Amino acid sequence: MLEIKNLHAAIGNKEILKGIDLTIPSGEVHAIMGPNGSGKSTLSYVLAGRAGYDVTQGSVIFNGKDLLALNTEERAATGVFLAMQYPVEIPGVTNMMFLKSALNAIRKSRGESELDAMQMLKVLRGKAKEIGLSEEMLKRAVNVGFSGGEKKRNEILQMAVLEPLLCLLDETDSGLDIDALKIVADGVNALRSPARSMIVITHYQRLLDYIKPDRVHVLAFGKIRKSGGAELAHELEAKGYADFTEAA
Amino acid sequence: MSVANFINRSHQDKEGWKYTDLEALLKTAPASIAMNNNIADTGDHPRFVFVNGVFQSKQSRFGAVPSCILMGDLATGYNLVLGEHTCLVTQPIEFVFTADENAPNEINIKLTIEVGANGRLTLLENHLASPTITVLETEIILHASAKFVHGKIIHSGGTHLARSTAQVARGGYYNNFTLIRGTHLTRNEIDVVLQGEEAQAALNGTMLLRGTEHADTTTRITHAAPHCASRQIYKTVLDGKSRGVFQGKIIVAKDAQKTDGYQLSRALLLSDQAEMDAKPELEIYADDVKCSHGSTIGDLDEQAIFYLRSRGLNEAQARALLIEAFVAEMLEEIQIEAWRDIFRAEIERWAQ
Ligand SMILES: Nc1ncnc2c1ncn2[C@@H]1O[C@H](COP(=O)(O)OP(=O)(O)O)[C@@H](O)[C@H]1O
Ligand SMILES: [Mg+2]
Repeated sequence: MLEIKNLHAAIGNKEILKGIDLTIPSGEVHAIMGPNGSGKSTLSYVLAGRAGYDVTQGSVIFNGKDLLALNTEERAATGVFLAMQYPVEIPGVTNMMFLKSALNAIRKSRGESELDAMQMLKVLRGKAKEIGLSEEMLKRAVNVGFSGGEKKRNEILQMAVLEPLLCLLDETDSGLDIDALKIVADGVNALRSPARSMIVITHYQRLLDYIKPDRVHVLAFGKIRKSGGAELAHELEAKGYADFTEAA
Repeated sequence: MSVANFINRSHQDKEGWKYTDLEALLKTAPASIAMNNNIADTGDHPRFVFVNGVFQSKQSRFGAVPSCILMGDLATGYNLVLGEHTCLVTQPIEFVFTADENAPNEINIKLTIEVGANGRLTLLENHLASPTITVLETEIILHASAKFVHGKIIHSGGTHLARSTAQVARGGYYNNFTLIRGTHLTRNEIDVVLQGEEAQAALNGTMLLRGTEHADTTTRITHAAPHCASRQIYKTVLDGKSRGVFQGKIIVAKDAQKTDGYQLSRALLLSDQAEMDAKPELEIYADDVKCSHGSTIGDLDEQAIFYLRSRGLNEAQARALLIEAFVAEMLEEIQIEAWRDIFRAEIERWAQ
């Protein structure tokens, strides 16, 4: 379970998150929607522990642990995973090497044995196939020359391989055609489990046709302005965010 | 050649030594250096061991070295001479240079390597331990269509002053790759003349520097005949207060039409206090040539580090992976897989 209380965060002197309160019980999928620039990516980076984002107030407790006290890799080890809005390209590091290093680092932190090259290959091949990424893409440099959709699928592949407990998906649907969207949604749905919590950040309710959220929240001007069931997404799609003003 | 020769040359050619103040650097050489005398080896390739610059036949393994290889005596230096086709050396040969407590202040070595027409030679120089100064002069003569793949690892701790000259005749191929790490000072000069048509040279290297280490790679490739090709890729990683220098000159003579020259120097700065000086130079006197050079200096991509850490790698692992990735492009130039593995292992050890 994830509990975010009165979370304030700033980039430099600019306060972006202005008191987020959000609780996501284990096993639930919550969607966060909101206008551009409202702080959705900022929230996901703060949760993942990216440098440059200063938490000025509030707390984040994940499965009883003070998440804000942990560094980035410690958060990954406790099960936090961020599928990024703009996945990073890493020339010279093959996708295979990247996934292998990541999975072994995570396994080690869980007290599990590292996988050897053969075992690793088997795991990665199987998962890549499920996500619709060819074996050839495992041999290419991480995200280099990948299309927008391939990058997003690559994020989901990493998620499927690392089996995190808190999945943060930041606009994983943007730039995907309908087939790719279904593949990504299938990948996400396959990971739904009573032990896992998910935050799905999206602009479009379209994704939520495939990943059914338990709750939908509206994030605008750095705060959660409204929460509701899956029907809220439809409402937002119809009306837009005009109701949410800075003062509200 | 001796240290005195090098000092003289640095006085006479101020421009060529602009970034390497030889005399000052010689003065700051550490008094003692931990000796890495671990010359344990695997494999059954021919292996010639030199201690304090002196050839040790007892510690060496001649293996399948054909009789056409002649070893010279100390006075004239060591000659490695291969005749024509009949003596292709298929197995790579390794030269191991090390030193012991009896090492003189200055170890002078002269190697002459001559590969006859159509001959093949593959040689790895492994400069293991030298607490003092090694001065290495290498003269390479490649006859028509001879091919010489020449690797060099300098991780000797002390000071390494090297000058290699290579003359490549028609259709010949000279391939050099050099890894420099863990030396107080290295000046590695490679001077190649492509003398006959369709001669080729590929020079590649990596300098891995930290602390107050200083390494200088200075290359010159002269295209003296038409239809020759040269390719250079150098990668430098600098940490601490280290300083790296790459000077690469490509000269294309008037008659050397259809020259194809390529040169790339890329440096990765891990510290604000490290310094890289890269000076590419083209001197082109022919008009129908294809020559390009590039030089970049950058630092580690913070976004990539965050990405890797968010997937569970700790900061040191993330940095090491990115450093290895930076050098990977140069490793791909190494055609001998076993050597690529040796180089990769050296790089991994350095990065961790
Ligand atoms: N590195 C940065 N420096 C300064 N401001 C930033 C930076 N990154 C984001 N912002 C600002 O923070 C606000 C929230 O951005 P973001 O979290 O990316 O919004 P969203 O994901 O909801 O579109 C925006 O006003 C944006 O301009
Ligand atoms: Mg965003």
